[in-house]
Amino acid sequence: MANESGPDETGKTGPGKSGERAFRDDDLERRRRQLAETLAARRQGEGEGERGAKSGETTGYGQAVKLSSEFIAGVAVGAGLGWAIDRLAGTSPWGLIVFLLLGFGAGVLNVMRSAGVVAQVDPKASDKNAGDRDN
Amino acid sequence: MSNDPIHQFHISKLIPIEIGGYDFSFTNSSAFMVATVVATSAFLFLTTSSRGLVPSRLQSISEMCYEFVASMLRDAAGSQGMKFFPFVFSLFMFVLVANILGLFPYFFTVTSHIIVTFALAILVIGTVLVYGFMKHGFGFLKLFVPQGVPGILVPLVVLIEVISFISRPVSLSVRLFANMLAGHITLKVFAGFVASLSALGAVGIAGSVLPLAMTVAITALEFLVAFLQAYVFAVLTCMYLNDALHPGH
Amino acid sequence: MEVEAAKAIGAGIACLGMGGAGIGLGTIFGNYLSGALRNPSAADGQFGRLIFGFAVTEALGIFSLLVALLLLFT
Repeated sequence: MANESGPDETGKTGPGKSGERAFRDDDLERRRRQLAETLAARRQGEGEGERGAKSGETTGYGQAVKLSSEFIAGVAVGAGLGWAIDRLAGTSPWGLIVFLLLGFGAGVLNVMRSAGVVAQVDPKASDKNAGDRDN
Repeated sequence: MSNDPIHQFHISKLIPIEIGGYDFSFTNSSAFMVATVVATSAFLFLTTSSRGLVPSRLQSISEMCYEFVASMLRDAAGSQGMKFFPFVFSLFMFVLVANILGLFPYFFTVTSHIIVTFALAILVIGTVLVYGFMKHGFGFLKLFVPQGVPGILVPLVVLIEVISFISRPVSLSVRLFANMLAGHITLKVFAGFVASLSALGAVGIAGSVLPLAMTVAITALEFLVAFLQAYVFAVLTCMYLNDALHPGH
Repeated sequence: MEVEAAKAIGAGIACLGMGGAGIGLGTIFGNYLSGALRNPSAADGQFGRLIFGFAVTEALGIFSLLVALLLLFT
């Protein structure tokens, strides 16, 4: 920004007439306001980014417990569901096999969601990844 | 026995009650749950009772708690989610105060038992399910069907999404429980080193400075973890509530 | 030998496969970390592949877990 305004400014100060100075002050005032706005917007954005990073990135130990519990929960729930289905429907052992693998997929999905690789707001990307994983 | 790191999680019956063959005893766990609720409500009640325009220190602490949870909920679930504010706030304060109370020596940590954290997580997921079906009817099931999936893959993706949804209360509860359990056991083990080293005489007493320093450091870390886990629990609650409010992503 | 006992032993042996998956995961994450330390700016772009490698490796570990569970619960 400073580089851009540099030659512009010198060009204007050259003649040094009073009318032009008033215009220049006005211009400066306008530009300063613009700069303040830009700065405020950028600072807000930065602040938000920092806060997001802080809430997402906890201590390494916390992160490890978080991700592994997400993954294990997916696998465990899949295995439990498969076992229950086998128990109820008597399809042993296929329910356990199928649902354990599905639970594995769900666990990876959980990990990717909580690691922020798959954005939750973007269903397209998440679906593509889910599809890739299933193959 | 004092060196047994598991002993602190032992549940003892204070007032044995039995109704219809079921055990309804008032245990030390229940006592500390009551203590948590009483401490939280007393703190919030007393600090905000003066209602100064210029807040005193304690009043600004409770205002900070309010603001913290309110902005968290508004960020995650939008202004529509604010009707869940009492729920999320009580949950956050309960977990936070229970975690911090548990750090006092000889106190029982309520959240180090998986059944407690699982009950809390089931409460959250139950709220999400009930509210989602109440508000959107069967449209809530769209949560499990992401858009833009090729037709053949839909059943597979739906099954995976359903399992992922069911695994939420499990991971939510296991995370809080495992953190509190592991932290307290580590603390107890290192504190036990101090006791057993100092029984060895002068050299042992000199050497026991190291585990003592470690215990102090871990205690500080545990305060951080106590807050962090309450925060994570509340944030995930907000995100799941967001799913109930806007199921179509 | 009792069938139950043989099943339990088999399940235990099957779980050895999880150890192989563990070694593989260690290799993957270790190599990712050393690569990321050499060139931190490229690390974020490869995070997706890290998770992909994790998933594929862990899938093989899950197979041995599956065999163990099948032996124990069916």
